[in-house]
Amino acid sequence: MALPLYERNIKHFFISLTSFTILIVFMFVLALSLGPAMLSPHKVFQAIFLKPFGYAVDDSVNVIAMLRLSRALASLLCGASLALAGLLMQTITRNPLADPYIFGLSSTALTAIALGIILAPNLMVHKAYVVIVSFLGALTGYALTLSLSKLSGGTSLAMVLAGIAIASLFSGASHILLYVVQQVIKTPYVYLLMGSASTVLLKDLYFLAFPTIILTILSLAFFKPLNAYLYGDEYAKQLGFNPTLVRDFAASIAALLTAITIAFVGVVGFIGLAAPHIARFLTGSDHKFAIPITTLVGALLTLVADIVVKLVSMFAGAVGELPLGVVTAVIGAPFLAYLIIKKVRE
Amino acid sequence: MKIVVNGLEVWYNSTPALKNVSLKVSGGEMTFVIGPNGAGKSTLLKTIASIVKPRAGVIYIDGKLISSISPKELGKIVAYVEPHISKSIPSTVLEFLLTARYPHHSTLSFTTPRQDLEAVEKVSKQLNIEHLLSRRLDQLSSGELQRVLIARALIQNPKALLLDEPAAFLDLRYRLEVLDYVSSIVKVNKVICIVAIHDLYLASLYADKIIVLDYGEVVAAGTPDEVLKEELLEKVYRVKVHIVNINGRRVVIPVEPIERISL
Repeated sequence: MALPLYERNIKHFFISLTSFTILIVFMFVLALSLGPAMLSPHKVFQAIFLKPFGYAVDDSVNVIAMLRLSRALASLLCGASLALAGLLMQTITRNPLADPYIFGLSSTALTAIALGIILAPNLMVHKAYVVIVSFLGALTGYALTLSLSKLSGGTSLAMVLAGIAIASLFSGASHILLYVVQQVIKTPYVYLLMGSASTVLLKDLYFLAFPTIILTILSLAFFKPLNAYLYGDEYAKQLGFNPTLVRDFAASIAALLTAITIAFVGVVGFIGLAAPHIARFLTGSDHKFAIPITTLVGALLTLVADIVVKLVSMFAGAVGELPLGVVTAVIGAPFLAYLIIKKVRE
Repeated sequence: MKIVVNGLEVWYNSTPALKNVSLKVSGGEMTFVIGPNGAGKSTLLKTIASIVKPRAGVIYIDGKLISSISPKELGKIVAYVEPHISKSIPSTVLEFLLTARYPHHSTLSFTTPRQDLEAVEKVSKQLNIEHLLSRRLDQLSSGELQRVLIARALIQNPKALLLDEPAAFLDLRYRLEVLDYVSSIVKVNKVICIVAIHDLYLASLYADKIIVLDYGEVVAAGTPDEVLKEELLEKVYRVKVHIVNINGRRVVIPVEPIERISL
């Protein structure tokens, strides 16, 4: 019974892995084809995936696709990191409602960035400094939410409420600060408020790509302590893992992942909430399987949300674009409502 | 295989939980720790499992000081079964049981060896939880969960098995079956087994040795014949008991409380 069951889990994992990869490739090509100049997805596929193998590609298609590449890659990577951050936060708080946005990490990171721009505008030219400042902000948010929830009893709902309080406070603060920033220097920083992948430059993608990949591999390598941690501090302890160390390690990774996405794309909510739930539903809670699937689900969700952003701006014909975070909120908030109902019923 | 505890003293902040506890437990014997609520039974087990750090005193496992054994090494030697685990993140029984094998592997190894799954298979068959493997932990009844928790400890294949209230939530059949099974494993593999339990009836059925704790101190220790005496139990528990001889064992029957709660 144990062996066939485990083999079935592995089968489910590989089915999910392949289907999400195919879906992502499909959506990725679609995202590159969409825009004011519509391209044929067929030609875009050739330009992106077959050119390295010496395939002849139409030059105009190539140029346009490359121009749109950074935006599509940015939404993929940002979705993957937010989803992983969400999974890690759900594990370390043992709370299925945890998410970097709901727990206030995103808002505090953005506030830190805004403060940084006001106090030391010339430092903020370097993306590395922006990431560091935003990381410190995210860690502060995590600490604030956790201590506030401890004061109010430490239940999973207390954590969510504490997170909402912190998130609202700092989302307000970051609004004010970014408003001030906008008066001082004309920048697209306001996009950060609700997230947008359209402002990401191709040269910035390295800052987004390498940390995401390295931190994913790092979390995956430590799947055993994370699995043991799920069942309680004392349980992890007697399997030989230090629960405080596991918690601090995973919290730092989650804060760093959040910080990176905030620094480049801005506040995009609910991906970190929904993706881990979908992944666990498909492959179970074993982090060995859940981490890869969670990142893929997060990447796919964010890419789809960005496609929706493009479609709305193309067909509604209004000035500018919708922020990415608005779309993910519309998709994600009902999901949160569903989870709360399920949780409270228990 | 032997555990020696000497002069153990444990405090929770400013409350003493164990005071000068010394005892010796050897493998192949079922040692039962009894005593009223708050006597320090769980604390004793947790201290031996190195979950709680003592303020004073030493614990030796096979002549080795427990504080000198690395946490991972200790995970191979000692398994403590706590009555509660967190199940707020949904996970299946199989996923939970497989974590028990982690102390036996390198932290960074990635594969799940076949013998892990075979160990899970064997123990879950014996404890009759095979049909539960694909279920979620939060969908189990308390009795099913209790059997899963005990199965976890046995899959860990420890040299010392510390069971905290293993009979809680179990029905009559599983109380006897589970303790019977544990006791035969203890006898065959010469494992150390310490059981903290409230049910004196079960203690008198399965114990080879009994330790009585009261207010964090050992008040009696020895074979059931030496320890299970009406006078001692009435003093510790404040309950009138009868001791009956069944199948050559002294079996404790609680009769009535000594002090009644007045209306």
